[in-house]
Order: sequence, then structure tokens, then C-alpha cells
Amino acid sequence: MDLSQFVAALTPFNIALALFGVIAGTVVGSIPGLTATMALAVLVPVTFSMDPASALILLGAIYTGAIYGGAYAAILLNTPGTPSAIATTFDGYPMAKRGDGDLAVALACFASVFGGMVGALALLFLAPPLSKVALAFGPVEYFWLSVFGLSLIASLSNGNLMKGLAGGAFGMILSTVGVAEISADIRLTFGSQTLIGGFGVVGALIGLYCIPVLIDLVAVPDRHLKVEENVKSVRIGDAFRLALQSKFNLIRSSVIGTLVGILPGAGGSVAGLVAYSEAKRTAKPHQKFGEGEPDGIMATESANSATVGGGFIPTLVLGIPGTPPDAIVLGALLVQGVRTGPAMFTQSGSIVYTFIYGLLIATILMLPIGLLIGRYAYKSIVTIPKAVLVPTVGFMTIIGTFSIRNSVSDVIIMLCLGVFGWVVARFGFAASPIVLGLILGPIAEQGFVQGWTIGAATHNLFGMFFGRPISQAILAFTLVTLILPVILARKSKDRMGAES
Amino acid sequence: MSQVSSRASGQTGSKITSAFFVIVGLVTLYDTLSYTDRDSQVFPQTVAVILIICAAISFIMQFIKPTNESGFGQGIWWRRVLLIATMFLTCVAMPIVGFLPAGVIAFVGGLVAAMHDRWSVRNVLIYWGAGAVIMVGFFALFKYVLHVPLP
Amino acid sequence: MLKRHFLQCAAAIAIFANVGIASAAELKGPVSYVIPFGPGGESDISARFQQPFFKEKFGKDLVISYQPGGGGAVGWASLNGLNGDGHTIMGVNLPHIIIKPAQKDVGFTTADLNTFYMFHYTPDAIVVTADSPYKTLADLVADAKANPGEVTMSGSGKASANHLAQIKFDKMAGTLTTYVPFKGTGAAVTALLGKQTKAEWGYTTVGAKQGDAVRMLAVAMDERHPLFPDVPTFKELGYDMSGGAYRGIALPNTASAETTKMWSDMIGEINNDADFRKQMLDGGFAMLDVSAEDMDAFMAERVEEYLNDAREAGLIK
Repeated sequence: MDLSQFVAALTPFNIALALFGVIAGTVVGSIPGLTATMALAVLVPVTFSMDPASALILLGAIYTGAIYGGAYAAILLNTPGTPSAIATTFDGYPMAKRGDGDLAVALACFASVFGGMVGALALLFLAPPLSKVALAFGPVEYFWLSVFGLSLIASLSNGNLMKGLAGGAFGMILSTVGVAEISADIRLTFGSQTLIGGFGVVGALIGLYCIPVLIDLVAVPDRHLKVEENVKSVRIGDAFRLALQSKFNLIRSSVIGTLVGILPGAGGSVAGLVAYSEAKRTAKPHQKFGEGEPDGIMATESANSATVGGGFIPTLVLGIPGTPPDAIVLGALLVQGVRTGPAMFTQSGSIVYTFIYGLLIATILMLPIGLLIGRYAYKSIVTIPKAVLVPTVGFMTIIGTFSIRNSVSDVIIMLCLGVFGWVVARFGFAASPIVLGLILGPIAEQGFVQGWTIGAATHNLFGMFFGRPISQAILAFTLVTLILPVILARKSKDRMGAES
Repeated sequence: MSQVSSRASGQTGSKITSAFFVIVGLVTLYDTLSYTDRDSQVFPQTVAVILIICAAISFIMQFIKPTNESGFGQGIWWRRVLLIATMFLTCVAMPIVGFLPAGVIAFVGGLVAAMHDRWSVRNVLIYWGAGAVIMVGFFALFKYVLHVPLP
Repeated sequence: MLKRHFLQCAAAIAIFANVGIASAAELKGPVSYVIPFGPGGESDISARFQQPFFKEKFGKDLVISYQPGGGGAVGWASLNGLNGDGHTIMGVNLPHIIIKPAQKDVGFTTADLNTFYMFHYTPDAIVVTADSPYKTLADLVADAKANPGEVTMSGSGKASANHLAQIKFDKMAGTLTTYVPFKGTGAAVTALLGKQTKAEWGYTTVGAKQGDAVRMLAVAMDERHPLFPDVPTFKELGYDMSGGAYRGIALPNTASAETTKMWSDMIGEINNDADFRKQMLDGGFAMLDVSAEDMDAFMAERVEEYLNDAREAGLIK
């Protein structure tokens, strides 16, 4: 590695590509249903005529932008633009509702840039050693990781644990519908062809988060988001101060994001949830997560942006793509004649390093672009009259859901889930536990079945599930997350009792 | 709707939803009996049992210690129904009349449903114009830039 | 009477329309190439390899999109509802399109699919890590015989090519190994490299991608793969196994004979391009040339073979 590759990445053409990529990615990410995967798949042929490094910079920039763009819809419409932004809705939307949407968008931008830098730097300096993380994670570790993610349900169920758990279990059952991923059965389709493909995560997110918002929007004449009377200038200063105060949260979340990003079976959504859960666990008493706590947004957004760099580590070092966008980049590399795998850093070093520098440049460019587009997005969502906003978003949900698999039945499933989600939310069954179950269910199931198969074969089931160090660590964290709040609550109750 | 009756309907709905989840769990258990591969049974069965237990507890708790769910609360029903109905109608119409004309149904439905201000000629012109631009723009983006085969 | 007349007219129009299409069996714009899986798998990679050659030879864009779901079933069930004018094609995989409809109703049957070319296959292979104690296939067989069930082997999915190969080989060798299904080849390889399992049922492509990190013990080909001259075939070692996962392309069944022929010729031309072949072989793929004319015979043979294997394995009744 030397600086010549850095200079190579800095050509005006490459910077223009990174600029274009970040802008396009942000727009794509902010539209629910439009995924980075789709944008990359379409653009790959365009990159055939470029030299490999430029092609990679373009693809990497789009990916980075898309992960950030997902935050806009999450904050302003309570709808994650990409699955990575699920946990952004928890605090982002409450912030926007009380009139702090511009602050939330700026915070998401700072956090994303920070997380993206951490991920890219890890890719630059630590890729070969860190790729071992991907290999150390076996089926059982994935199983416990998903259990850890599910433990977040306890805090998402608004004081009614049983309802939250029921929602989570329901989500997991939804995740099993269709042709089973790793076993030879077709489950819970009741003979229907429509259900064979199962409930897609992106479609379900749109349905469960966006449709209820629309239903509530039309029912009352109030404004969508509260606006301050005298709209201040961009609240970059406030956001920067807040980000600086939470530097520890940012660093921890970015490291979590990088590590989870390295795991090929996890991805940005899991990274965001894990980081959110940790931020909540270590919260100060005055912080109210789930009601518009800035640290919640920063944790999620820095973690999911860090997965971009993290995800490229196994992709480039082991030839094993972590996420669908990584897989497309890998395919583009193969067509360009670049061999991935252990020898790549030595054989095709110049391309790889130019690409990593390009990714860094794209991440930095995201700061001004993100703030600019973010401000514009906020302004337009706030000022557009409801009568135009609702049908526009509604139209977007339809076209977005359709284009995931080019299927009308996916749109119908999305709408049904939306109405269902709205109805049950009226009675205390929130959408988020269902979504958590839907996303983490397959990880839990596969990890469990595989771990059980291997454990049974080696006559060591107990050791398989409880004897491995990483599993024990995750399990310990899960227990602490679940039990600590109960103890603390009891303690503070005792103290209150003593005082009165 | 008064506060009290709203709460009562919230409690009834809560019971119905809990009962629904219990049924979903039972249906899942029944469905797993037909699987040929043990690997595909374990997980749904475990989860279904958890679902049944949690939903049943939640159902019983509604009688012992009723919660304060808001129920459907305030809001104008015809607007909600119109929004969702037109969106469903769009799905049905899409394969027959094509994407763009079908999209108009949902757009108009959403517009009317969300229109709380007074209708005026100016409003109508601006909103419809904006709607047309937005729809055609999205349609072009998806169809020609992203090559999505929209019907 | 009137009705019959009407039908005749309709038939005449239909024929006329067909002729109209036939004489115009050419591409007018970009072609949508649907992969019924997510990106990153062997289907995706081989389609990406075809993409630039197609553009170069025929001047039209090949736009690849992904339509995952139901292990490919969602895509294949929708194929015949798509426009058959030749501007939409879809990847097909064996044994998926044979085993899935045989297990349950998945919305399509093997015969429904208008497959016009099978262009490559990935031969089955047993893969171990470079530092594995199994130096040869005999080592693995010996261990599996000494410790029944304790040799764990990862693979992609159940009732898949990997799974069928594992069952078939166990029967031939008289061993009992434990098959651990993963979601896709990538996850199965990760499990192998992380030593979660002792070996992997994979393809020759794994050997090409992972290079020195892995060792293949045997490949299921009639002759050795040119990229791996040192890896013996199963046949050399006394196991009559040859085959793997076959991949091809299909058109909606409304496509005219002319369109099908045109496509078969075009894919055949790409397949015969020396640069394309080299790229595929370097990736660990094995080439195959089954054009539209020979498809029925090829399919019939494979259907019989796979259904037999699956029946013996107890995967279908």
C-alpha cells in the first residue's frame, strides 16, 4: 500500500463518479422499495467499459449513499427506506413529529459519515485479520446473535411484554411461510401460489410501517409533522454538538457495525438493531429511548453505515459476499477479471486500494451532499400539503413494492400486512416486534437447525450451544440486557419508597 | 365516541387480537404435522408454542387487569377506507389496464382522502398537476432507468 | 356455424400473427434477463460473464435483475406469464426445476418451462480446507466408516444438487456422513473455512474461487477439469458419479419457434467464443452445449436420473 493509489483514486473522473454515486444512492435509498441491490444490478453493465477501480468506486458510492438515504424515509415517514434503517424509526420519527426532523436528519448524516469512515478504515488497515471474524461465527453464534436481537422486543413493547413477545413470535411465524430456505418443505402456504415466495422483508417493512402512517394521516386534518413557527437555519451546529457529546456512543456503534457487517449472514439491519440495543442498555437515566432520543438515531446510523466497509472485508478477502450489494460488486469484479480471495490484496492490490480510497472519498462527500439533500427532503416533506403528500407516498409504496420482484401479489400482501399492522397496533401490538421476528427469525432458525445437526452428529449438543466462547459472550450480553433494567427499576423503586 | 366507550372497544379489540394470535399458533402447529423434514418442523413448532402462551396470557390479563388501549380513536373512517380501498383497486386493475392508469386510481383516492382543506379551482389544478408530474416521473424512473417491467 | 367460422378466422389471424412475429424474430431493444435467485450465486456470476459478450456480439443490452423467492419457484412460476417476444429470458437450474415440482405444487412443472439452452454446469466436488487431515478421498471415507455420522459436511440447501450428491455418495461408499444444509454455496463455504464442518459438498467453482485455502478431494466429471489437473475424478477412484448442477436459460412458452431458435443460436454463439469459454473455465465452471433441438432428450434423461436419485434418497415419494 502506498500513496500512489490514493492519488489514483483522486482523479477528477473518479471524484465525479463518487459524487454521482452518492447522490444517486441517497435518492435510491430514500425511496422505500428501491434498494441498493437494484440500482447496482442496473449499473453494472455501465461499469464494464470503465477501468475496474473506477467501476468499483461508482458501485461503492451508490451503496454507501443508499444506506444513508434509508434514514430520510425512516425519520420523516416512519418507513425505513432500506431494512438497515429499521431502528432509525424508533427515535427518528418521534423526533420529527415533535418538530426536530431537521436535527434528526443532520444527526443521521454525521453519524453515517462517522460510521462509514470507521468501516472503510477497518477495511483499509485490518481487512485480513478481521476476516477471521466471519469464520469464527458458526451457526450457533448466529443463533445467539438473533436471540440477542430479539431481546430488544422487551424494550420495544411499550410496557406490555406479553404482547411484544406475541408479536415477535408472530413475525417469526410469518418468516417461515413459503419454500423453506434450508429444509425440503413448503410451509404455511395452504396451497396458495401467492405465498410460496414468502413475506419479503422489504415489502413487509413498507406495509407494516408506512401504510399505518398513511391511514393515520388521512384520518385527521392536522399537519404531518410539527413545524417551528420561525424555521431556523439548518441545525448543523446543534447536531454537531450532540454528536460530539455522544462520541463514545458513535465509536461503540461503529465498531459494532463493522463487526456485524463482517458476518455474511447478518447485514445492516441486524447491525443497527444490535447497536441500538447496546446504546439503550448503557443509556443515562434522563435519556428516553423510543421517544425521540438523538443517541438512538446516531447508534443505528453509524452502525449501518459501518457495515458497508465491514461487509467488503469478507467479500474481498474471502470471496464471500456479506450482503446482496456486496454480491453484485463481487460479480462485477469477476467479470473485470479480478480474482477475489486471499491472494487479492497482493495480486490485484492497486485496484483494491484505489477502491478503498474511493470508498473513503465517497463517505466524506456524503457529509455535504447528505446535509444538502437532507435539508431539501425535510423541507419538502414539511411543506407539501397533505393532499399531495399522502397519494405520492402511497404511489411510491405501490411502485416500490412491485419492483422488488415484479409482482402484483407482493403489493397486495404489503397492503394486507399494512392494514393488519394498523389494526393490531390500535390494541397494543406494536409493529416493531413483528418486524424483528420477521428479520431475525430465519437467522435463528437456520443457526439452530445447523447447530443442532452438527451438535447431534458430534454427540456434544450442550457444548455446541453453550460451550463456545463467542456464544457465551453473546449470551451474557443478552442476559445483562434483559435483567439489568429490571434490577435498576426495582432499585429506584426502593429508593423512591424510602424517600417517601 | 366518548372516552369510556373508546377504551371499552380497545379492550374488546385487544381480546380479539390475542385470540387471533392463539389461533394462528394452533394453525401453525397443525400445518407442521404435514412436513416431511424434521428440520423444518422444530422452529415453527417452538415459536407457535411461544405465540400461544404469550397471546393466551395477554388474553387472560385483559380480564384481570384491563389495559388502556386507545382503540380506533378519533378520525374519519371514510377517508381511511377510501385510501386503502383505492390502493387495493389499483392492484386489481394493474394487470388489466396497465400500471400508470391503475396508479391514477390510488393517487386520486389518496388525494381525496387526505384533502381536508376547501376545494378550490387553484388547489385542484395545482394538486392534479403535481400528481401527474410525480406519477409520470416515478413511472419513467422505474421503467426506463431501472428497467422494471411495469405492466 | 358462425362460431366455427369465427374460430377459423381467429386461427388464421393467430397464424398470421405468428408469421408476423417469426419474420421479425429479432431484438428491438434491451433484453431483461431474470435470475430467480439473489445475486452472488453461480447463476448470477455466469449471467454476468455472458453480459458483455452479448452486448458485443448482438449490440443489445442484457439487463440482469433478481427475483428471489421459494428457491427459484417464484420466478419460474411467473415465467410463462411474461411477454414471449424474446425480450425477456430467465435462468433455469437443474436439479431445482425437476425436484421442486416433484415434491409439491409450486406453480410450475418441469415440462412447462421452455428451456432453450443449457450452457454450463458446476460439477459436484468434495472440498476440505487446506490444512484438513483428509489428504485424499480415501482418508475421508475411512474416517466416515470408523465414526459413522460424525463426519459433517456442509452444502447448499436440501433436496439440492449438493444434498443429492451426498446421499448418492454415502450409498456408493457405504458410509454415513451428516449433511448440514446452508443457505447458498457462500454460506456453506464459510462454514467449511471456519471449520464448523469437516468437509463440504460443493462445486468445482469453490476450488477456483478459494484457491490455496481449500483442497478438492474429487470432482464428479468424466475427465479432470482443465483448471485442476491434479484433482482426480470420482470415476478414477471407483465411484460412478458424474454431474452436478446444470444451468440454462428459458423463454416464456408463448415464444414462437423462430424466437426460440434465434435465442438458442445466440447463446450457442457466446458459448463458443474462446474468450468466454476461458473465463468460465477459469471460474471453475464446466461448459455444456445443449441447444433447443436437443433439449427434450437431455431433459428427459436428467429428469429420470434426478427423480431416481431423489426417490432413493427419500426426498420424494
